[in-house]
Amino acid sequence: MPLDPSSDIRRVVAGRVEEIPPGERKLIVPFRGRAGIGVFNVNGDYHALRNLCPHKLGPLCTGRVSGRPEAVAPPSSYAGEPEIERDGEIVRCPWHLWEFDITTGQCLVDPKMRVKTYPVAIEEGEVVVYADPADLPPQPPSGAAVPATMARGRSAE
Amino acid sequence: MVTVPGARPITAPGWTGQPRLDLGLVDCDVHQGIKQPEDLYPYLPRVYREQMIEQGGMRIPGSGYFNVPQNAGRTDLAAANCDATKHSTHKMGNSYEQLRDEHLDLWHVDYALLTGAGVYGASVLPDPDFAAALCRAFNDWTMEHWIARDERLIMAMAVSTSDPRLAVREIERIGADPRVRAIMLPTGNRMPYGNRFYHPIWEACERHGLVIGIHPGNEGAGLAGPPTGVGYPTYYIETRMARPQMAMAHAVSLIAEGVFEKFPRLKVLIDECDQFWAVGLMWHMDADWKSLRDQTPWVKRLPSEYFREHIRVGSQPMLEAANNEQFLCMLDAMHADETLVYSSDWPHWDWDDPATTFPKLPEHLHRRVFADNAREMFGL
Ligand code: FES
Repeated sequence: MPLDPSSDIRRVVAGRVEEIPPGERKLIVPFRGRAGIGVFNVNGDYHALRNLCPHKLGPLCTGRVSGRPEAVAPPSSYAGEPEIERDGEIVRCPWHLWEFDITTGQCLVDPKMRVKTYPVAIEEGEVVVYADPADLPPQPPSGAAVPATMARGRSAE
Repeated sequence: MVTVPGARPITAPGWTGQPRLDLGLVDCDVHQGIKQPEDLYPYLPRVYREQMIEQGGMRIPGSGYFNVPQNAGRTDLAAANCDATKHSTHKMGNSYEQLRDEHLDLWHVDYALLTGAGVYGASVLPDPDFAAALCRAFNDWTMEHWIARDERLIMAMAVSTSDPRLAVREIERIGADPRVRAIMLPTGNRMPYGNRFYHPIWEACERHGLVIGIHPGNEGAGLAGPPTGVGYPTYYIETRMARPQMAMAHAVSLIAEGVFEKFPRLKVLIDECDQFWAVGLMWHMDADWKSLRDQTPWVKRLPSEYFREHIRVGSQPMLEAANNEQFLCMLDAMHADETLVYSSDWPHWDWDDPATTFPKLPEHLHRRVFADNAREMFGL
């Protein structure tokens, strides 16, 4: 399947790994006028999400990256200060602030919602987004410095 | 021949409404009231008796708004009391015999929740100790003159929230009585009911399996805030229109402050505040929760899920839609088969009888609204 149904592009180089350090993201627009793809580095793992929110088509990947606050019911602070869980793994769409798990594309406030994700591979220091997991290059031998998995790429650092 | 003003509904000309005898009937809002403050004297400590004599009454604060007629009561019932020209039922209280003859027997009510009258104001009285004593006295009076006389009656005990410890003490005193199934609180109070200030009371209610009843009262009176979010309206009809605002404020507060996470077996009954606000509340609060969940992370599920599981809405005054199709749509949207319970508000002038208030409902929905939702809520 191409990255965009109206074209036959199946593979896009998002940039060199050092362009997207942990905690950062890069937006790529392989096709003029399309929503584009957000490539995120979460603690060294790369993830690519379509920049199109399944709620109302907002530019999801431009939203704030954060975690998920957790606390018990009031009086909450009796049990300790509120905590942030999964820091850096959640992106919030700028249009209505829905939370999405960057590592899976799953929407955290509506189990029926999921944003489209793409496989990512690291190839010779480049972050490469594939339209289809079937196109991913073969796994490097185990112990290799640059492993690539079906769902995500890992930087060499 | 004596001419009786008003008419008993079942004999009125053209009356066709009949209760469905085969379906069960639980009435979640029936008012019992004292005839005069002296009725409570036997149940009050001497110091408060004397204060009441000196002060000339219960010191329940009012808000100054009208009610009609002559306070609240159905004039046909006053007529049945044979003194209609002098007394309204509400102003002068009502009697068990009247409730039995004119309501329970007449409509074949299986259970009726006594929701009280007058003592709603205890929560906004300045003196919390007197407020607690007043509630205790009213509860004892209700037990003796109503509950003890009819198996069909269950009770929402009066509680003042002004000192939660005293409220808990009263719940510990009588809350385990199987005839006590709820507490009754006013919509008008100092804070919305999700606030942590009230949590010790909710903890006691959950422990005793008591429903938290909320009913219009006190809005704009005593220590309570004004009846609307924009201040004091001028006329009584405006305060009636403000009831959904108050119901929503309490329901939202209970959900947002995590009360149902903390007390997962708690149930709340909101009487006499209209019904279809529940639709907008559930839709809007669900949408906002999806955006703002991180600010109240203890709210683990969609607000509408808490609402449907924990909050029940009394059917009186049942909103009259432009046509039955719209009406049934709205019932569907509020999940009436889970959330709506029949309430009559007997003996008030704006009461809803069990036979003509609803258009013909599907059998399943009829059973849920008129009996099963309430049976489940009260554990009957
Ligand atoms: S469009 Fe993304 S949250 Fe609404």
